Amino acid sequence: MTSYRNGGFFNAAYHDSETLEIDRSKTHHTNPYAGGERPDEHYSTGQTGGDAAVGRVPGWREESWRESIPMGLISTHSESPSWHHDLNHSTFQIPPDSQRDQSPHVRLSSKASGHMTMRWRGITMRRMSMFPNGDPANVAFTEDAIRNEMETEEQDLVKELVALSTRDRIRAIRDLPMSFDEKKHIRSHVLAFKSSKQSRQFTCFADCTETVSLSFRRCGSSMSSARQTLELWQGVMKEIGGKFGTSVLIYFVFLKWLLMFNIFSFLVNFGFITIPLLVYDPSPNIPPNVSFSGLEILSGAGYFHYTVMYYGGYSNETLHGLMEYNMQLAYFFTTAVYMVLCGIALIFSMASSFKKNYVLADPTSNSAWQLLCSWDFSITNERAVRQRKNNLRVQLKESLSEKAQRELLTLTEELKHFGVYLGSWLLSTGLAIGCGASIYYLCQYQQQLLPADAADWSLLQEAETLLVPFVVSLVNLVVPLFYSLFNKFERYSSQRRQIYALVVRNVFLKISILAVLCYYWMNVVAKKFSCWESVVGEALYRLVIVDFLFLMLGSFFGEFLSNVIGTRLLPRLGVPEFDVARNVLELIYAQTLAWIGIYFSPLLPAIQILKFFLLFYVKKVSLVQNCQPPRRSGRAAQMQTIFIALLFFPFFVGALSMFAYTAWSLTPSEQCGPFRGLNNAFSVVGVWIDDLEEIPGSQWAVWIYENVIRSEIFYFFISLIIIVIIFIFWQVTQGRKQLIGLLRQRIVNEGKDKSFLLDKLQNLQKSQPDKKSKQKNQKKHSKRRPDDHSSSGQSNSNAMVQALLARQQLEQEDERCSSDGVPVPSDISTSSALMQAMLARQRADDQDEDKHSSSSSAFTQAVQARQRAEGRERDEHYSTGFSESPINTSSAFTQAMQARQRAEEDGADDAHDLPSSVSSVMMQVVQARERAEKEDRPPWAPAPPQNSAPAGSSALIQAMLARQQAQNEYDDGY
Amino acid sequence: MGTTASQLGKDLLSEYQELTFLTKQEILLAHKRFAELLTKDEKDLPNTRLPMERILTLPELKSNPFRRRICLVFSTSQHKDGSLTFEDFLDLLSAFSDSATMEIKSHYAFRIFDFDDDGTLDYGDLERLVNCLTGETDDTRLTDEEMRQLISNILEESDIDKDGTVNLSEFQHVISRSPDFVSSFKIVL
Repeated sequence: MTSYRNGGFFNAAYHDSETLEIDRSKTHHTNPYAGGERPDEHYSTGQTGGDAAVGRVPGWREESWRESIPMGLISTHSESPSWHHDLNHSTFQIPPDSQRDQSPHVRLSSKASGHMTMRWRGITMRRMSMFPNGDPANVAFTEDAIRNEMETEEQDLVKELVALSTRDRIRAIRDLPMSFDEKKHIRSHVLAFKSSKQSRQFTCFADCTETVSLSFRRCGSSMSSARQTLELWQGVMKEIGGKFGTSVLIYFVFLKWLLMFNIFSFLVNFGFITIPLLVYDPSPNIPPNVSFSGLEILSGAGYFHYTVMYYGGYSNETLHGLMEYNMQLAYFFTTAVYMVLCGIALIFSMASSFKKNYVLADPTSNSAWQLLCSWDFSITNERAVRQRKNNLRVQLKESLSEKAQRELLTLTEELKHFGVYLGSWLLSTGLAIGCGASIYYLCQYQQQLLPADAADWSLLQEAETLLVPFVVSLVNLVVPLFYSLFNKFERYSSQRRQIYALVVRNVFLKISILAVLCYYWMNVVAKKFSCWESVVGEALYRLVIVDFLFLMLGSFFGEFLSNVIGTRLLPRLGVPEFDVARNVLELIYAQTLAWIGIYFSPLLPAIQILKFFLLFYVKKVSLVQNCQPPRRSGRAAQMQTIFIALLFFPFFVGALSMFAYTAWSLTPSEQCGPFRGLNNAFSVVGVWIDDLEEIPGSQWAVWIYENVIRSEIFYFFISLIIIVIIFIFWQVTQGRKQLIGLLRQRIVNEGKDKSFLLDKLQNLQKSQPDKKSKQKNQKKHSKRRPDDHSSSGQSNSNAMVQALLARQQLEQEDERCSSDGVPVPSDISTSSALMQAMLARQRADDQDEDKHSSSSSAFTQAVQARQRAEGRERDEHYSTGFSESPINTSSAFTQAMQARQRAEEDGADDAHDLPSSVSSVMMQVVQARERAEKEDRPPWAPAPPQNSAPAGSSALIQAMLARQQAQNEYDDGY
Repeated sequence: MGTTASQLGKDLLSEYQELTFLTKQEILLAHKRFAELLTKDEKDLPNTRLPMERILTLPELKSNPFRRRICLVFSTSQHKDGSLTFEDFLDLLSAFSDSATMEIKSHYAFRIFDFDDDGTLDYGDLERLVNCLTGETDDTRLTDEEMRQLISNILEESDIDKDGTVNLSEFQHVISRSPDFVSSFKIVL
């Protein structure tokens, strides 16, 4: 409170202003002060739970309390019965009049006893700042008003919550930014309200739905708890997050997520394809001359060639066990459905991630707030915290110097940069294409050496097949290192662009390699080898295995060696950081291999699970042993979105189209596999539909197949509708963007209006004649020093008070017009408020003038009386004794009230007679004050000064309030 | 309040589940961790308040630069000493949990950053915030000039109404544009 008395004279009011609320319509938007203070003193003083109601009103809107406060000052204490019920504190049960009469001394002690909630104190602090000279007696009114307001707000909230469905209600209560006790209280209120309501309108149906929804909720929560129990690597994740922060953690989260994909895929494939086959025919169909040599584990050929590992190991028969099981259909639909499910899962996670992390994000990055807000609360390691603090400091300094250095590049420098970019992009693209081409020729060369039938491969030939995966993995390991080297030469303006450039180049490399391999498999392998699907499956198996070995090597060389070099040999390089982007891209590549292989080798996900599982531990150990936390806090959330998007777009879509091409266009091998003898794998469906036609009752399936699946018109319409929907949504987004721009502009404008008006007022005050302002300044100080009272001081402060009141009124005007939802701040009302303010000031100054010239008005008399009283008070300054004067001050108060009443009448009568009525009101008020001061005089003599000074100013405040009321009345009449 | 050894009534548990963002496991774990911090006598008392010093021995909070502010913000103690009851503790974990909404998180972040509890982030608050994040000692702090520059940048960026302070809605606006916030404003037991 004191801090605002001095410096925040005008600012305080400014802080109160709420025209800048971004979202006014939101009901549970809370006042920062409201939430900021703890109302829970109630509990600690041993009250019953019921009275905790008073303090907690979460959803109150500030404009409403602001408006209601002047009303609350004069309105009766309470209208709701529950109010009294809730309030069984002795202090609050005092009728408003006597409460007002209490001396500040008592008020303070009641505050200290914890009856007044902190929240109110916070608000009254705000209100007090409107009256820099005001005394705490004023607090009593505002408190009442605020409590009233809060009470009704709470009731509104409870009503709102009752109207919601159970599920929404739980969520809404949970989302309230309040403490646990408050939420509990609201909940109990809502439930009580609800049950009282329900007992009246009880129906069986409602009861049933309630029970069902309850059981669903129970089920849901127990499911989520079960999931939590099964959560893999939770401790490890926490440790990594605690040491390295969120940005490194996303690698491991991503790894786990991919592992889940593979586990699902394995379960599906194993359950629907492999188990039925094994149940039907447990022994693999292996020629007698083939035995397990050990090389299979690396090459995947040889013995494995004949097992259920690959496409070739599956039969095309309909299995006759307990029921008929069509192997062809099972194989086709399992793979197809898995791919579709993967696609849906990816699209959903990508969309939600985009929504959360990208759409709202500000493109202008690297700003100070972003650095400050990205402090990782999950970091628990002391050393990591220190390091992070250092990094943050460096980054903050960089962002400062960056801001200063921007736009300093000359044309030649820019050209040079452009040249470097162009060169490195050309080089990296050329490198990727070159790698792709060389791998293609290597494959060509190798397939010429191999016999067409895999059964004829010798052990040496089998070992030679490892050459291609070896080269591919080597390229994948080495070329990215070159790319990082390029990155050192290019100077990107932001780190994000640098990372994006790196990612794009790596993606391009991996795509070109995979595309070349796929092309080779589709066009060369499919034509040459008998049972070519198994050969492709083996090739993929080798790629997966060798890639795993290289990932291990990569973490050995990439992290362990550079750690050794950094710590022992070249200390200036320092301990390496974990390169999240590169590592995640490796994961994406590995997963793409698994997806491509799902058709050719149904059990490849099992290998993939093993690989990811081991990789997790290898990477974790390597990370903890070799790496340091990242120097820059990257934008982890956005990177994650990008990785998911990358996984979906070139990689998953590529794998899906590869699968689709294989199933629709390529002829399956004649000798092996489930689709032998068919033109393509998809014709399985046609055969099945033909069979279905003979079964009665399944005509609808045939009809759907003929008229939906196979008709171009259907797809044409579907695409048309989707395009139309996309267009509509696009238009909606455009409209929203415009709206956002307009709203933002409005916020800025209102802020400007406000500061303009405040400036104007301030200037008005300053622009008074020098003499007066000098006096005024003097008085302003003297007000705070009770030993320096003088008559002019009083009158001046009175003038000031009037100005203040006018200003408050102006603010109310402002508030009102904005809360009414008027799109443009109404100039008329604000300027009228301004006029009021100026008028009030002028009148105050006139009074001043009067006093100086004639010194015969009632006002001066009052002032003199006051002066006398205070003179006496000064004499008695050191007298002791603690006695409050409730009766006298209360009578003073009633005088003021009467004066106000009269003023109101006057205001009502002469609403059009502006100057006379106002001045008469003024007179009334002044007289009232005079009387009040006379009344005050006798008890002041024995009273200690601490009480008397505020009590006197309390009378002043009464007068001020009366005046304000008069003005309000006048406004209404106007 | 059943703060006695690891027993939480079923009703209480479901109430906790309904009012916080925590799952059953998390609540039970929180209860266990909280009970570990209690002394023998305190375990028998219902609704015990743990003093801030003992809360801060938790490894999850021990090295957090905002640890004291966190305790003060979530404490419902009338003495403003940062002591926490079990429900306060749950409240803390709920706000820092994965599933808490951005609104909740930004609300509490604002209060944590509002060092003087006056409802706005003014120059002093921002200065202390930056000092908290860069380290308090003289050699790690930013110089006065840098600090001034930084804070003026911050205000320029976020102070939409140009009043020299950042209020809650402005803060939430800033937060909504920095997606990393939600993932990093997280404490897991």
